[in-house]
Amino acid sequence: MNVNFSLLAPEYVLVGVAFAVLTIDFMLPRRHRFHLSWLAAGGLVLSAVVVMVQRWDTVETLYGGLFIADKFGLFFFVFFTTLTAVLVLISNDYVRQHIRQPGEFYALMVFAAVGMIGMVAAGELLTAYVALELLSFSLYVLVAFRRDDAHGNEAGVKYIVLGAFSSAILLYGISMVWGAAGTTYYDGISEHLASNAGSLDSTLILGLALIIAGLGFKVAAAPFHMWAPDTYQGAPTPITAFLAVASKAAAFALILRLFAQALMPALEEWQVLIAVLAVATMVIGNLVAIVQSNIKRMLAYSSVGQVGFLLVGVAALGHIEGGAVIPVTLASDAVILHLVGYAFANLAAFTVVIAVSNHIGTDELSAYSGLAKRSPYLSLVMAVALFSLAGLPFFVGFLTKFYLFTAAAEAGLLWLAGIAMVASVVSLYYYLMVVKRMFIDDVAESDNTPLTIGIPRLSWVLLGGLLIGTVLLGVYPQPLADAVSAASGAILPGA
Amino acid sequence: MLELAHFQVLSAALFSIGIFGVLARRSAVLVLISIEIMLNAVNVNLVGIAAFSDRAADVRVFGQILVVFIITIAAAEIGLALAIVLRVFRNRGSANVDELNVMKW
Repeated sequence: MNVNFSLLAPEYVLVGVAFAVLTIDFMLPRRHRFHLSWLAAGGLVLSAVVVMVQRWDTVETLYGGLFIADKFGLFFFVFFTTLTAVLVLISNDYVRQHIRQPGEFYALMVFAAVGMIGMVAAGELLTAYVALELLSFSLYVLVAFRRDDAHGNEAGVKYIVLGAFSSAILLYGISMVWGAAGTTYYDGISEHLASNAGSLDSTLILGLALIIAGLGFKVAAAPFHMWAPDTYQGAPTPITAFLAVASKAAAFALILRLFAQALMPALEEWQVLIAVLAVATMVIGNLVAIVQSNIKRMLAYSSVGQVGFLLVGVAALGHIEGGAVIPVTLASDAVILHLVGYAFANLAAFTVVIAVSNHIGTDELSAYSGLAKRSPYLSLVMAVALFSLAGLPFFVGFLTKFYLFTAAAEAGLLWLAGIAMVASVVSLYYYLMVVKRMFIDDVAESDNTPLTIGIPRLSWVLLGGLLIGTVLLGVYPQPLADAVSAASGAILPGA
Repeated sequence: MLELAHFQVLSAALFSIGIFGVLARRSAVLVLISIEIMLNAVNVNLVGIAAFSDRAADVRVFGQILVVFIITIAAAEIGLALAIVLRVFRNRGSANVDELNVMKW
């Protein structure tokens, strides 16, 4: 077998950077170690540049189809490395204050990025699973990173136990699909499903259901979401942002490729299942978010709600017309767009949470009372982020939800789009409650920290970038939309 | 005479026992052992199909490859999980999952 190893150069760069960060950590004096974030972020950006130079027009497979290099993989490679670089820089101040081993912290984030890239590039179930575990293992350690913190411990145990449990379910599903279809390659599964349409083996159906349940755990779709709030609350805040944004985006990229390239011919069997999951997730996530008193928990439930919206897009990936499955490219566009828009808004929100908790020392919602008087800039960014998450016009969240609901309508799932709109209105309520706290309420009297909240220069710049991105993509989305449709054209051809 | 169905039943039984253990056991270590049982149910399923399926030999051998990967990853996963459980035990003097209730709702 002729393998073009040079195609993997960007991945080698990433792994090299991770090991370099680990090694240089030993050589630096303790107080300078948090500066390693610059090396990690630089390496991530460098690999994004390398991949764009090298794979711009490449469509190639490695190891006989295990690894696919196409526009879809390229788009997510650049997305994930940029996202991780921003997260590494956001965590700079947090790491300086709370983390004793910065080198390991940053290196694990880079390894997680490698795992995410593998999940997108995988053209086969086992490879996808191994990449998923590389991401999960890094995150298990990162979540439990504050070894002596009771919340961190508890979050770590809950995450790893439910993560391992869901891996077992996913693997059982994979073993059944392999048993019934005789292959774990996406194209092979697709062929098997197409040639046996209408008379599918019950083992295969059960396997599909188990795979959907396993992936449902990973993206925290209801009713498999119970780990998410606890893990989000107990994890170090930059890692909460990583879980909410990056690992979720990676899992959805994997789901998109799997459903578009492998499971599409069996649309009839899984569409209803995904639609029901979407409804449960939207309703539970958005309703339970209302009663939260901790901002990280509130954002956790809000992200569960957002997973519901994304699942609407996954359910809309195709529709059946005269017995044939017609793919809906708009749905895959919408899911990717929503992931990007959601990443901008959520990163901005979490950066504000980090700045506030570094200053006031708590993540309780009551700490946000009167934030507009203490730091107009932070409350402006937070308000814009929350408006975008709620899907108000002029922000990117409106546009991406519009795409999602249009796609659902195009796939004949109007009822689903209706429920999604109601859920979206409900979400506006708890987002606005935070805005009301920040702009109308007064600072709590029990709060005796200095009135003005100082923001480190780096966070200031990152917040500005995220703010501009959230607004700019909302009013001028064309370049992003073009890139996204090139990406989804690679997995859903001929639509 | 052994056939594929025997392996599938054994595997389903092991998997169910594992799920029951995860839900019913209170000690974090026993929960992890139950997860190991679930993973081994997957291995039994794969080995059974690899041995008794009527497909070509190169298709069947892939099941054994899968098993090797799963054993390796499961070992790493349990190692990590035990390290985290050990931290909990050191900090609290107990590894009972019911007592992990600092955070709820």
